[in-house]
Amino acid sequence: MKFETGKRGLLINILSLIVFTIVWQILVILARNDIFNIPFIRLRDIPTPVETWYALVGSMFTRIYGPSFTYGIINHVYASLQRVIQGGIIAFIIGVPVGIGVGYSKFLGNLFNPIIEIVRNMPPMAWIPLSIFIFVSGGSIFIVFIGVVFPIILNTIQGVKSTDSRLIDAAKTLGASESMIVKKVVIPSAFPSIITGLRIGIGVGWMAIVAAEMVIRSPVGLGYFIWNMGDLGRYSEMVAGMVVIGVIGYIMNISILLLQRRFINWVD
Amino acid sequence: MGRLVLNSVSRKFNNFQALLNVNFEVADGEFVCLLGPSGCGKTTVLRLAAGLVAPDEGSICLDDKKINGVNKECGFVFQEYALFPWRTVKENIEFGPQVKGMTKTECESISKHYIDLVGLSGFENHYPKELSGGMKQRVGIARAYANNPKLLLMDEPFGALDAQTRNLMQGELLRIWETEHISVLFVTHSVDEAVYLADKVVVMSARPGKVKEIFDIKLTRPRIRTSMEANIIRDSVLKSLVTEIKMAANK
Repeated sequence: MKFETGKRGLLINILSLIVFTIVWQILVILARNDIFNIPFIRLRDIPTPVETWYALVGSMFTRIYGPSFTYGIINHVYASLQRVIQGGIIAFIIGVPVGIGVGYSKFLGNLFNPIIEIVRNMPPMAWIPLSIFIFVSGGSIFIVFIGVVFPIILNTIQGVKSTDSRLIDAAKTLGASESMIVKKVVIPSAFPSIITGLRIGIGVGWMAIVAAEMVIRSPVGLGYFIWNMGDLGRYSEMVAGMVVIGVIGYIMNISILLLQRRFINWVD
Repeated sequence: MGRLVLNSVSRKFNNFQALLNVNFEVADGEFVCLLGPSGCGKTTVLRLAAGLVAPDEGSICLDDKKINGVNKECGFVFQEYALFPWRTVKENIEFGPQVKGMTKTECESISKHYIDLVGLSGFENHYPKELSGGMKQRVGIARAYANNPKLLLMDEPFGALDAQTRNLMQGELLRIWETEHISVLFVTHSVDEAVYLADKVVVMSARPGKVKEIFDIKLTRPRIRTSMEANIIRDSVLKSLVTEIKMAANK
């Protein structure tokens, strides 16, 4: 796929968002005036972009009401981000060495591959009930960990395995020992893949945290926020929360991508 | 020092015999080119000399020491350069000294010396992706030299370059080699390259690889590619090679 780049590309990007928002607004208004409807969908009940915007601004920093959501959206964002970052860091610290070991050593590969291959097929959400009763606290961090760790492990393995064998030969003839080869050839060569794994993992973790917060009912967090708003019939705030989730996910993805381009500038 | 002796070397890979009873020698300070049809095991000879693979039979000795495990007294130059893409020119050249545990100052003085020698001053901090093929191979040569080897093993180092750069790099290699004289075993497909560079050309036969014929080339350097003498030698080397190429093609 080829994307437009530069100013023209950016213009098309912005235009597409504007058109999407306008179409959304028009469809809801038409439905509310009984001019247009889609069967089986209560289009009229969907908050319009304008309502969503006011809900977002209104609940960004200020509490809405009642004791159960004393927080503004910004606090919920902070809580969710914190969990994703904590879970992500633990996943990185565990996932990278595991991936390197499994990717580099045939023995470790045979030992751990069956476990990895089975456990990675259990979605993070499937772990929620278990984590509720085994973790006294921090269950949602564990859910994030499950979401982040497998993309990191798999991408690290792939990065390690695709290390150019000529580079390993070159290092050998230059006198490098086995551990030097891992440290100075295999890891740097796998580094871009490792970061790609982190980026994909953080995306999965971000989705997982929203689900976990809905089920675990931590008193603060974006998942909790949108669930609660739904319960209370405050649909504009609920959709505002959804938009925030999307935008933050996008920003995290772009940030890691930019860091990757900035610091791994040797890739062809 | 840097005398490489292959004594009745044979090597099999799975079911096929890559090398059969190979005997030849690279004398101290000699430039030897290894010529042969594709798949005749030229690269295997280099990998054996580097200790990256072991022979099934026979022995390979460098200065009367049997090569057992990776040979750390040789420098390897690869066809596709095999530079570490995450390391700059300078850092690539310093790889060997670094893994040997030399200090930063020592590493820097070595890399500076070889960057100057191969003519890459001003490119110290460039990454491989920013260099042309010829420049990459200059780094490859400098990196091999920086380890202070007794023997340079070169696997079609100029094979990926265009014809003009290739001629230029052959001249550059000889200039560097004349400055810091060590033994060289150089694999090539090109008769022209072999006759331009080598003191001795070893022609190998089609699979299984054996030494077919050895030509001593006594022409003085700098050699003139188009000279009568060079042409005569080229002609006889080519004749020896052509039958093998035909055989390899028929297999």
